[in-house]
Amino acid sequence: MYGSYKLRDLNIEINDIRIWTEYDGFYRYKRRSRESEIEKILLNDSEILLNPVEPVNLPKKITNYLFLHFEKPLVVEPDLSVEIFLTFPIEIGVFAVKDGLFEDIDIFSFVRPKFTLYGEPRGGTIARYWKTEVFNKIPEINVLEMGVMKLKILNMSDSWCEVSKAVFDVHGMKIYYNSNMVSSIAEMRIHSKRVAETSFFDRPIFENMKTAIELYTTRKIPILSTKFTMEWGT
Amino acid sequence: MIEEIFLLTLRILEFPLYGEVKVRDLILAILVIIIAAIIAKFISMSLRRSLTDKMRKDQLELLLKFVYATILLFAFASVTPILGVNLTGLLVAGGIVGIAIGFASQKVVSNFLSGLFLIAERPIKIGDQIIVENVAGYVEDMSIMSTIVRTYDGLYVRIPNEKLFSSNITNPIANVARRFDYQMSIRYGDDVNKAIEIIRKVIEDYPFALKIPEPRVFVDNLGDSGFNIVARIWTPSGVWLEVKMDLLLKIKLELEKNGIEISLPQRVIWFGKSEKKSA
Repeated sequence: MYGSYKLRDLNIEINDIRIWTEYDGFYRYKRRSRESEIEKILLNDSEILLNPVEPVNLPKKITNYLFLHFEKPLVVEPDLSVEIFLTFPIEIGVFAVKDGLFEDIDIFSFVRPKFTLYGEPRGGTIARYWKTEVFNKIPEINVLEMGVMKLKILNMSDSWCEVSKAVFDVHGMKIYYNSNMVSSIAEMRIHSKRVAETSFFDRPIFENMKTAIELYTTRKIPILSTKFTMEWGT
Repeated sequence: MIEEIFLLTLRILEFPLYGEVKVRDLILAILVIIIAAIIAKFISMSLRRSLTDKMRKDQLELLLKFVYATILLFAFASVTPILGVNLTGLLVAGGIVGIAIGFASQKVVSNFLSGLFLIAERPIKIGDQIIVENVAGYVEDMSIMSTIVRTYDGLYVRIPNEKLFSSNITNPIANVARRFDYQMSIRYGDDVNKAIEIIRKVIEDYPFALKIPEPRVFVDNLGDSGFNIVARIWTPSGVWLEVKMDLLLKIKLELEKNGIEISLPQRVIWFGKSEKKSA
């Protein structure tokens, strides 16, 4: 499903989502799903690109943070560096492309969004919520619903730490994809039992993966920092 | 004829107003101020165009006001020598006049100082929703003297900063998350555990009903007409009203779909006569 299409040829139907184009003098991009319907008019037969985007846009954008909740907490010994695999939710962006310029015309997802509060109402952060299993190798998952995140955990403190969540600022999220997998690589530096810092790396899990067009780059939103400090516990 | 007009114009321009200041100096000063105002306006508009997507509205407004005021201040400072005004003298005179004006207009000074304190303390910012005494709405603008609020029904309300500063300000979106409660009553004949399970499921499926803090659904009391169930739900503050308006109907429809009805007020009446008969 991910990849480039000519607008006039667009006709995709997966599960309860259908995306297609009608022509009546204008090109009408249409998408129908169980909960919503969208129609947009494009004047020319543009190139259309579908790729996974930062998963914080549905049903509407209220945050840029992603909260991954581990099904089972992870106990990390002091001065240890470990790599684990998690899953993250996928939202799919539909971009119109011309001369290397991208415009997002639609975003949809095969998974239901859910939000949570990280921290306290005063000073905490609203984040997109996702419950994930912790894997020691790349899991086999539905490429349209979930991506694989390789998370490198570094316990830089001198005590044992229990990690049951990871919160990221998706403004710095780098997503790569191919027909079998959507991936992202991140790091969590644990400074103490309650404080950790998370960030993303700009590289794919496998070499042959394509870079996903990011919403926050195409919308030219200035990104000051791509790191997030988890100060309300790990 | 033209020569006469030219000479007359020259004479007017060279006409002394006071000290060494002539009409041409005054015109030049006015021109500089007007040009500076145009430049300031142009720069403000350009900044607004280019930064609207990149900055928070309140920060942008503050920046634009600062840029505008700075340009005008520079223009004013540059024309004072042309007008023969000594800035040092002006400051001393300004100080004395300021004290006099301060005494004469305490309310204005009070509003001004309150405005400074509000900017420093920042209990509210442009775009926030606030409730001050009997005014509730969105903060549209904050200036040094007053704050403009657009009420929910679209009215323009100007609140002097002194009043704002000394009043209780409720900012419903200052915290990132906010809770609301629903109270529902279902019939005694319905399965209350099933009802609670359905309500929990509807809340769980709703994106903006926060996962943490966990929503709570419980039987609060046994009412006159049925089980009184309370649902306590946390949502992001920015969508609080939207969720509160939307979710209740979803819960009601889902309960009805599963055969659970909202209870109606009812009273059981026992007739003494029929009771006697049965005994």
